[in-house]
Amino acid sequence: MRRFFIGLLGIVFMPVFAYADTVTVIVKENAIRESCKFFAPVKAAVRAGNVLEVLSQEGDWFQVRFNNIQGCIHKSAIEKKSVSLTDKLLGPQKQSVTGDEVALAGKGFNPQVEEAYKKKNPGMNYQAVDSIEGYKIPEDKIQEFAAGGKLNPPR
Amino acid sequence: MHRLLYIGLLSLSIFLSIHCQTAYALDLFKLKEKVGVGKEAVKAARPMSEEEEYYVGRAVAARILSIYPILDNKKLTEYVNSIGQLLVMNSDKPFTYGGYHFALLNSDEINAFACPGGTILITKGMVHAVQSEDELAAVLAHEIAHVSHRDGVNAISKSRWTQVVTLVGTNTAKNYSPQVLSQLVGLFEGAIDDIFKTLVVNGYGQSQEYQADEAAMSYLSKAGYNPSALKDFLSRLVSQGEGAASGGGVLKTHPATVDRVKNITKKMPSTKVEASQVQLRNQRFQAALK
Repeated sequence: MRRFFIGLLGIVFMPVFAYADTVTVIVKENAIRESCKFFAPVKAAVRAGNVLEVLSQEGDWFQVRFNNIQGCIHKSAIEKKSVSLTDKLLGPQKQSVTGDEVALAGKGFNPQVEEAYKKKNPGMNYQAVDSIEGYKIPEDKIQEFAAGGKLNPPR
Repeated sequence: MHRLLYIGLLSLSIFLSIHCQTAYALDLFKLKEKVGVGKEAVKAARPMSEEEEYYVGRAVAARILSIYPILDNKKLTEYVNSIGQLLVMNSDKPFTYGGYHFALLNSDEINAFACPGGTILITKGMVHAVQSEDELAAVLAHEIAHVSHRDGVNAISKSRWTQVVTLVGTNTAKNYSPQVLSQLVGLFEGAIDDIFKTLVVNGYGQSQEYQADEAAMSYLSKAGYNPSALKDFLSRLVSQGEGAASGGGVLKTHPATVDRVKNITKKMPSTKVEASQVQLRNQRFQAALK
């Protein structure tokens, strides 16, 4: 009798335990940081499409695990997706929400469209755009800049 | 008895499983709202993805940069980027697909452009029109808010975007056929035109400008800048007669700059900033301009 009830409880709570939260990186590149704040040391680099396991949420940051590395990532770099029991048993179900970044990756206006647009419009200054995107200031310099101007360290 | 109990619990199990999927759908929607997907974009067939917005933004920037040359000034570029990146971290959306980038345009016009996805272009004329680091930060914060609110992509005609969604929706191939590609490029060109006209010719509407101003004051305040620097700058332009609404550009918006000043005054945060700190930042502002 006891075994029977334990079995029943297992059936009831299995979907809850199987409801493991995952998030997918939706920006070209980002980082998993040691603590949930900007400028915290980087533990791992992540790229668009990487799936991270969610451990908890702290304000605008998520505690995640990726390739056995645990750390924090900002909410704006990810899209939340939970895997349900039915997904696990029957495979991913049809998306119930349009605009899923993961489902739309590479669709619509993509590099192929950009290449064709560039060929059709050779006067567009993509060289300057690439140069602007390639410019980066190291994080320690931004921190110094904030401190030098008595500005608040971002959280 | 046992069978009934078993069926009941099994039903509960199925209910919980379905509930989890619904929760996922709601989570996704809430998250999109939190990270700043504009309401207008949500209304369309589907919102533009972050990745698509990035490619649109690159094209808008490429078009602007085919008109305005880049100002080659390493010291000033680093200075503007440092202010910009700090403000970005205090914004509603610190990360976009390709990140935020700030560049100077070699033009005496007083102007700034927020390209979708995060490239922000500011003219040399604007940098010389502001009188302090806090005022420069105010201008950049306003542009960051336009990116965060997706005001650029929301300028794309709804019917054009519906055509894109319809065309892409039926296509499962990784690479588009020449026929589909040609149609997509046509729609892409149209989308760039829509945004360019809003950014450079007509300007944003009243609610977008008011919301960008209010968000800018919040970013400034969080970062430790003086939020009233936005009001100081715009008020000075009004007094100099450069704030009348008459077409495109950052200062020729609908509403007129004078109305923006009134709205800013009403919504001003109560943040207090020490004068000594503002003075300290002004010293490096003057040094960056030399």
